[in-house]
Amino acid sequence: MRTKLRKWRTTFWLLSCMVLTMGFTSAYAGTPVRGGDLITGYGQFPSHFNHAIQSGAATAVPGCNIFASLVETNTKFEPVPYLAKSWEVSSDGLTYTFHLVENATFHDGKPITSEDVAFSFEIVKANHSFGPSMLGPVDRVETPDKYTAVFKLNNPHPALFMVLSPALLPILPKHVYGDGQPIRKHPANTNPVGSGPFKLAEFKPGDYFILERNPNFFRPGQPYLDRIIGRRIKDPNANFIAMKKGDFHLAMFNGGLRLKQIESLKKEKHIVVTSKGYEAIAPVYFLEFNLRKEMFKDVRVRQAIAYAIDRKFITEKLHSGFSKAATGPLHSSFPWYTDQVNTYALNLEKANQLLDEAGYPKKADGYRFSATIAWYPGEPDSMDTLAAYMKPQLKKVGIDVQLKPPADFVSWYKHVAGWQHDMTMSNIYSWGDPMIGVHRLYLCDNQKHVVWTNTSGYCNKELDAIMAKASVETDFAERKALYAQFQQILTEDLPLIWTHEAPYQTIYHKNLNNVITSVWGAASPADKMYWTDGKMP
Amino acid sequence: MADDVKMNEIAAPSRRFLEAWYMFASNKAALLGLGLGILIAGVTIFGPMIYPTDPFEMVGAPMSPPGEELLLGTDFLGRDILAGIVYGARTTVLVGFAATFFTLVIGILIGVLAGFYGGWVENLLMRVTEFFQVLPALLLAMVLVALFSPSLYTIIFAIGVVSWTPVARLTRAEFLKIKEREFVMAERAIGATNWSIMWKVMLPNAAPPLIVAATLGVGVAILFEAALSFLGLGDPNAFSWGYMIGASRDFIWDTWWAVTFPGLAIFVTVLSISLIGDGLNDALNPKLRLVK
Repeated sequence: MRTKLRKWRTTFWLLSCMVLTMGFTSAYAGTPVRGGDLITGYGQFPSHFNHAIQSGAATAVPGCNIFASLVETNTKFEPVPYLAKSWEVSSDGLTYTFHLVENATFHDGKPITSEDVAFSFEIVKANHSFGPSMLGPVDRVETPDKYTAVFKLNNPHPALFMVLSPALLPILPKHVYGDGQPIRKHPANTNPVGSGPFKLAEFKPGDYFILERNPNFFRPGQPYLDRIIGRRIKDPNANFIAMKKGDFHLAMFNGGLRLKQIESLKKEKHIVVTSKGYEAIAPVYFLEFNLRKEMFKDVRVRQAIAYAIDRKFITEKLHSGFSKAATGPLHSSFPWYTDQVNTYALNLEKANQLLDEAGYPKKADGYRFSATIAWYPGEPDSMDTLAAYMKPQLKKVGIDVQLKPPADFVSWYKHVAGWQHDMTMSNIYSWGDPMIGVHRLYLCDNQKHVVWTNTSGYCNKELDAIMAKASVETDFAERKALYAQFQQILTEDLPLIWTHEAPYQTIYHKNLNNVITSVWGAASPADKMYWTDGKMP
Repeated sequence: MADDVKMNEIAAPSRRFLEAWYMFASNKAALLGLGLGILIAGVTIFGPMIYPTDPFEMVGAPMSPPGEELLLGTDFLGRDILAGIVYGARTTVLVGFAATFFTLVIGILIGVLAGFYGGWVENLLMRVTEFFQVLPALLLAMVLVALFSPSLYTIIFAIGVVSWTPVARLTRAEFLKIKEREFVMAERAIGATNWSIMWKVMLPNAAPPLIVAATLGVGVAILFEAALSFLGLGDPNAFSWGYMIGASRDFIWDTWWAVTFPGLAIFVTVLSISLIGDGLNDALNPKLRLVK
């Protein structure tokens, strides 16, 4: 009944609009208009909406619409005002003063104050899995008045603005989350009182959630969409058909679709496919060696494998051009990236020669040694497919690859976190800055029994020193020079072979506007997104 | 009538074999099955020598249709479908026979003991059998394979564990039938041990239905292997038909050939085995022989 009414209302509204704007349509399409729902499918469905305590895109994507943050990040890695209307940074880089907008309220009507900022900072620092690396340098947040928050740092923090973005530091209401209940089990995680452009209207765990426009959002006129509906996708084929028919309007992080399916969707007239919006998350895929295993202790063996893998074949043939070859530990969208590093173009002769030199001659059966490859489950195009490629490819240089597909995430986790692997394929999200998302793979003292830490067992004191310096260097050029060294050393030592950058695409209906407004892509508020003519198709 | 049956039962093995063959050969469907079986055996043994392309290697453009670059086309990675079918035959046939052998070993052992001894032994063994019968076979196989990480051995083991129960019941039934027969009595009278009566006298006489069951079991085992591989629980280092279908199922709209040909291969193999099994059933069943 309600939807019917809504439909009539929309139709009426639309008709009047058509009458009013007849003749001006082209000019009109460029102005954001209110109206319409956005339906989007989630392969990994969130179990709650509090991304202050939970890393990962599944929670962060809806979370960024529910919670606002101090700053947003534009498409050039620059901070833009959000809850903070302005800020000052002291000349020593140790004091950041933020002035909050004064008309911002939480979804329950209470004003957003500096107390809430200080509270959210404490929560994220103590509970988010990147808490220590993101906010370690920040000593405390002072609150001289209701609308001023001062971040006091122990040492300079070049990535602070990235940390303050919606994806990483959501502003939670202290009066709700600070009531003494343990934050991990807080009932407001699934029934949040937020600060962002949308508020949660309905949530059926494991099935769907509905976000509704927050009418009191502090940015006037925004958001434009009436509702955002997130549906869990159990089968990628269902998402494929729904996108093709136009029933679903947006798929982020490939929406569980296979690349060949995206290639086929790309041919549809109503669909736009873009690879933009993953610059900050910056996922890099790699083949990791376990340096504790005898054969991989020799750098020549690792180099030989690097020479045997044809990255061009991976990106062009296996990924139909949707991915980009990686040259080193940093994603090429990062401002600190350099391509002035050791590169390993396909060269089977050299690979064979290096393996001979390393003392692994071919035996009677044509093989030098045997090694297993495991991989992270859940991304068939980047993992299973690459494994299927590695096996015959490394056979050409005499390495007998035994595939060890994970039965599930837990068994892969135990295998790699237990340091039992020979090789594993995996990926990391770089989360906006090398010191947040990248260092963890290479730091000597980060060899933990946890995946996505330094499970390869690599240790280079010189590199450790460079990472330590880069973590406090605030001068961009100096920092870039340090990271150039970082990339050069790693591409010589090769504890991992970086194969490609994420083949992630955002697939959306052509009438949807302002889909990507930040380097954070989908992990940013959708308050600027709107339907052409305010009408969903 | 009773005398005739007895005559057949104690007939010399060679005559018995010839008669069975005669019966088998007069069944056209069975002969077709045998012909297909020989073809598949040929592919399994000689295929990789005649067509030595590595099924794992990406030899062509991805998703090229049959006849364009390669006879049966390539899958979404550019792997040769024909090479996959040729090499997959080995995995499939190996798993089919090895799992059936395993099934027979467990099933016959339990069936023989239960049928021969009766009493509490039978009760216990049959309750165990029933316990396994009520478990959903494919689910149990999946759990076993996932538990011990997928490899050819675990798959053979898992298929064996879930499919021995009919063999056990069949063996027991046959044993119950012939336990009181004169020739068994005669063996007892001359002082043969239980062991020798069980294995040397009774089992060969209970064999015909078991041979039929075993043949059909190979077909079932092949289907099981295909199902497990399709679900991603196959041995990742052995190319199999089920794996090919499972890997390409997301692309069925674009590459029908990548799922159809391995599917046909499974179909033909299982059909051939079923036809052979039916033929054997007719040929080895003495009652049918008398009717004719």
